[in-house]
Order: sequence, then structure tokens, then C-alpha cells
Amino acid sequence: MPKPKYNNRDSGGDRDFQNVQEFRGGDRRVTFKPGGNRYGNNKGKNKDWSNAIRSHLEEEDIDMNIGSSSGKANFRLNKKGKGGRQGSPLPYRPKFLQEGPTGWYRVIIPYGQRYEKSFLLKLLLDSVAPLPFMPVEWQTNGHTVLFFVDERKVAEKLNALDRQVQMPNGFKLFLKVFPGSPEVIMDDKIKERIKVVMAKRYNLANKALDLTKFHADPDLQDVFCGLFKPVVFNAVLEIIEENIQDVVALCLNDNRLSVFGFLKKVHKKMPSLKILHLAKNRIRDIKQLDAFSECPIQDIMLDGNPMCDKFKEKPLYVSEIRKKFPKCIKLDGMDLPPPIGFDIAHEGTIPDVQQTFLCSAEGEAIVRQFLEQYFAIYDSKNRQPLLEAYHENATFSFTMAYPYGLGRDKNVSWLTWYQTENRNLTQVKDLNRRCKLLKQGKLAVVSFLQDMPETQHDILSFTVDLTVFTPTMLCLTVSGMFKELKSVLKSPPIRHFFRTLVIVPAGSGFCIANEELHVTNATPEQAKEAFKTPTLPTPASGTAAPPSTPEASPVIHTLTPPMIDNNAKQEMVNQIALKTGMNVEWSIKCLEGNDWDFMRACATFDNLQSRGAVPPEAFVK
Amino acid sequence: MSTDSEMKAKIDQACRVAEEFTKLYYETIDKRRHLMSRLYLDSAVSSWNGNGIKGHDRIQQFIIDLPGSDHTMVTLDSQPILDSATAGLLTFMVQTSGIVKYQDKTPKTFQQNFIVTAPGDKWKIVSDCFRIQERLTK
Repeated sequence: MPKPKYNNRDSGGDRDFQNVQEFRGGDRRVTFKPGGNRYGNNKGKNKDWSNAIRSHLEEEDIDMNIGSSSGKANFRLNKKGKGGRQGSPLPYRPKFLQEGPTGWYRVIIPYGQRYEKSFLLKLLLDSVAPLPFMPVEWQTNGHTVLFFVDERKVAEKLNALDRQVQMPNGFKLFLKVFPGSPEVIMDDKIKERIKVVMAKRYNLANKALDLTKFHADPDLQDVFCGLFKPVVFNAVLEIIEENIQDVVALCLNDNRLSVFGFLKKVHKKMPSLKILHLAKNRIRDIKQLDAFSECPIQDIMLDGNPMCDKFKEKPLYVSEIRKKFPKCIKLDGMDLPPPIGFDIAHEGTIPDVQQTFLCSAEGEAIVRQFLEQYFAIYDSKNRQPLLEAYHENATFSFTMAYPYGLGRDKNVSWLTWYQTENRNLTQVKDLNRRCKLLKQGKLAVVSFLQDMPETQHDILSFTVDLTVFTPTMLCLTVSGMFKELKSVLKSPPIRHFFRTLVIVPAGSGFCIANEELHVTNATPEQAKEAFKTPTLPTPASGTAAPPSTPEASPVIHTLTPPMIDNNAKQEMVNQIALKTGMNVEWSIKCLEGNDWDFMRACATFDNLQSRGAVPPEAFVK
Repeated sequence: MSTDSEMKAKIDQACRVAEEFTKLYYETIDKRRHLMSRLYLDSAVSSWNGNGIKGHDRIQQFIIDLPGSDHTMVTLDSQPILDSATAGLLTFMVQTSGIVKYQDKTPKTFQQNFIVTAPGDKWKIVSDCFRIQERLTK
């Protein structure tokens, strides 16, 4: 199918080759430059000088012929290879056929339109026999016939055919061969057709995509879709990414592929790619395989690429491939011995996150009570009662930072308020300043806390780590999210905090001796999780699901229930039955629903009772 | 005013020790994990993203089993812990935040704290808690 582009081929791709073509096909000039363009492969080789000079002489000869052909345009072509030259001591030699990067060649037959296509085809077919002749994108433009071939040997034969065949009309057949490949204009329509062909070639069961000789697919004959064209390969990758990202095997055999530098993030588009067949392509440099090196390739086929011939010894070849694909166990269909690694080169695993760690189950009740009370006050309008929570000589310090990659961007709510109190010792070097930023004594601490922005903490987001629990000291770490209230911003900013508390016994209770608070922004992923209404959260571990206590404080599930032995449970059941008047069965229900937290079970009961929500049968004894 | 200057000296020491200690800690965890146990008390407790480990040898093994890491500390804070909590044994609480990269994974923000004490002539970690700042549900 003729492509309109051809009419204006100066503007299309393959410009370099076209320049060569114009240079050769246009007005001939006498030049003594050997011209790398013309004799690319002979560049720098002295022995070819004679050849080059001969070519020049020949061209001059031709010029003179043209000059003597009295302006008859048709004759011009005819005369170039005129019979008179056959007896010449310098027989006509076709120009050296330059090799292009794609391995494709553009064949131009000036005045080819004068002959029947079938006649021309047969002539060319016979001429290149026994090689297969498969012209691609046969098109005409005026008198000219143009097509593409993708075999160098075929191109060479065609090149050698120039002016050698006497046509029935008495003229000699002219053939111009240059490196060049068909142009591809990718649009949605073509992409859709590629997609259909890919679907046909995809084996869902094996997750294998076979794109062998893609351009020769019978369903793609009227459009040119050579995979070696970056625009085609990228379209194919896009389709893979959008539809079959889990593809495991990809066969690209026989696609004239030579370079992959234009492929970006292949491993993100095909993260599971284990089998990659690239046999019978034109890969010359092993570096081209880097494009696939981040895929977990285990089986690779490279046979029939020029790069393979560069390795004289097989072990070297195997080791170079292994460098690119450490997990490779099959190369060119041969099993490789499994790679022997080093014991210390392990990959390691990141353990799953746990919301709570308590070094001592005994500390659980204290921690929970402490946190509930502390944050209830902290989130209220008046933080003064927190004076009770701090030791007389308590010290408190504060740091802030933006999370990684989420700095002071316009989409981020800035932590400007916190900046001035930031006791980041990597920046605050002056001792006096270090001392000043350390709030000392409970009055200083609470007055600072009072000044902090009003907050609402999301208890469900809390992590709790109790790492020290001795009679004299607890070390407790709490992290989680809070909402900053009374913000000038449209939506209150969600912050993330990390708080270390050293807690000491005081009288019958406990108080904070030391505290360090770090505030940062919640990441967008975190923020999505913040302040979600608990949808009957599942218990942290094997306890029964909470029965009829939806009013229970959400804090229940942030801590793992302590190990409480049966005697203790029996005692709690007795106590709660006595206190509430409920029967044993319902007392157990109430306690189980509150993870055997006596205080909370009582609170839940009071709450439900005050609203008349406790069913009468609970009191039937 | 002697208590004031005493406190000032203590604060100064807490800050200096924290600077030196955190530098050593993150260098060791990134490059010389086989020495990690030496930074901890025998009976130390560590919580790594909520996974609790007791004992310095186990802590070292746990850290060795993690993927290779690269920590960058961004903030540091430190203060002396009240004497009443530590029975007079000089002890500091250190809190850090920063960026950690595990192998070729994308960097993450972390926060960490340490309780550091000197029962002999070496500073040792009593306990530490490390948390990656991330959503809790996958």
C-alpha cells in the first residue's frame, strides 16, 4: 500500500540514509574525497583506495556519458550501463552496499512502473534465488517502484543486479539499494490491531507471549510492524503493561532486533519475565541486554545473534550472560549449573510490621490506662491537667522533619509552627540553645504542650512499644497520626508523631520523667488510613470477637491482650457480676468483649446501662 | 546554681554521646553487622517495627537477617534520664529520625529511639525501638 509519506521522503526517518541516497542519485559531482558515507566499511583501509578511485573514475565516465546523451532524460539512465562499456577493461561494478543499523534495505527501481508488478516480482525472485525474496511495503511513486528487504544477502544480490538485466523494452533494469527501513506511523488504530495480533499470540495458561517474526504475521501484512522499530516495540510494551503485566515468557525470535536502548523500565512493565527468547536477531553488543537485566530472567535464548560470535570460548559467554542475569539457569536451551553464591550475599527479608510490642505483659494495663488518659487530656481544649502526668523535674524535647520525598512542596501542609522548637542536634550545635530547647520541669513542659496546636489523635493508628519495664522505670514508644484542628487550611493536616516516654512510678500511679516528641507529616498512604471508622475491628489475637459492645473504646485493639490466667479471669467475672448485677454468662461476655480489661468492661457496661441498652436477660440469675 | 551547671554538663554530655553513638550505630548496622551485639547490653530489648527481640546475640542475628541497609540520620535528639528512674546510673534517651534504604527498595522514613547507659566504661544500649513510617495495613 503506497504511503503518502513517500512523496515527501526528505522529511521522514532514516534521514542519514536518504542523504546518502540523494547524494548518489542526484546530480553527480566530481570529488576526490573517498567519502566515509560511500565506503563506510572500507574507511581507513588503504587497500581499498584503488577501488575507491575506480569508482570515482567510473562516476566521471558516467557524467560524461550523460553529457553526451543530448539531454534525453530517458536515455540518461539507459546510457549509464550501455553496451559499449561491456568491452571496457573496467567492467561495471555495483557500488558497495553500506550496512545500516537495522539490517533493512530500501530498494528503489527508477522507472520500475514501466513493468508489470508480477513481471518485476518474478524477475527479482529468480534473480535472488535460492534466497527467499520477500519485498515489504511495495509502493510506487510516479515511475519509481520502492520496497524494502530485510536480508543483507538479498540486498547484496539486488545491488549487484543493478544495470545487469536487459529488459524486454531494451532498457537495462536499474536498482538502487540503500540501508533503510519502512516508516511506521503509530496511531490508536494500528495499536489496536497490534493488540489483537498479540492476543492471538498470547498463551494465557503459560503466560507466554510469542512474537516470533512479528512483522510477518499474516494479520499485519498491510501495515508494517517490525519490532525493531522503537515505536512498534514501545507500543507492544505498552500493551503488555496495560493488559498482561504478569507475562512470564516472551519470545522475540527472528525480529531483526539489534538495539534496546530505547526501552525504558522494562522490569516495571514485565516484572515477572523469566523466559526471554531473542534468538536469530541482530544483537551485536551484549550491553544491549541491559534493558532486560532487571527482569528476573532464568531462561534466555540468544543463539543466532552476532554478539554470540564474539565469544570464542563458551565459559566466557556463559559468565558474561550470568553477569547480566544472575538468576539465569538456561542459556540457548542448555541447562546451566545452578549459580553458586556466597553465604553472606543473602538478600534478607523485612519482617512484617507489628502494631504492638510489650516486653512485659504486666505492663500492658498500665500502658493502656496511661495512654487513654494522657491522650484524652491532650486532645481536649485544656492540657493543664497533664501537669499530673509529669514528674516535678520532667524534661521534654521536640524535633521535626518532613518525611522522605515529601518536603516543603506546595501540596504539603508545612510544619512551620514546629520549626522554631526543633531541637535537632544535627543542626543545633550551641550548648545554651540545646539547654534552652530542653523544657525542664513540669510547668515548662505543660506550658509548651499547651501552646502546641489543638489535636485529635487517631488511636487506631497507634503503634505501642514497651521496651523497658522495671520497678523503677518504663520506656514506652508511641507513634501514630493526629489531626491538627483549627487549621487555617481547608482540610486539617494529618501529622505523624513518634514519642518516647520514660515513665516512673509516682505515689500510687505513674508519671513521665522524660519525653522526646518527633512530629512529621503523614505520608499520603498513611493519611488514607487515618480516622477510618472502625468497622468492628478483628481482635488482635485469639480472643472472641466483641459481642454487643460497639461502644467500646477503639483503643481495645491497639494492644495485644495480656496473658491472664483462669483464676484471675474467674476473679474478674465475680467482681463484675457483683458490681453490675449481671449474671455470670453476661459478665463473661462483657469481659471477653473488652479483652479482659476490667476497667473498660465496667465502663462499657456503664455506658450501655445508661442508655438502657443492656438486655434484661443479662440480669436473670 | 551548682545543680544548674551540673544539669548543663549532663545535657552537654547527653548530646555529645548521642552524636557519637548514633554515628557509630548507623555505620555498624549498615556495614559491620557482626559487631552489633557489642553495642547492646547482654539483656537488651529491641523492638524492630513491633517485632520484639531480647538479648544482644539475638538482636545481632535479627539485624544480620535484614536486607542490606543504608541509613541517613536527619534529626537527632537526646536528654539525660532523671536519676530517680535509673537509680543514679548515668543514662540517656536518644531519639532519631531519618531515611533508610533496604537494598534497591525505595527509601523510607524511619524514627528510632535508644536508651543508652554506661554500666562500665562503655556506652551500651538498654533498649531501642525502630519504626518505619508507613501504613500499618498492607
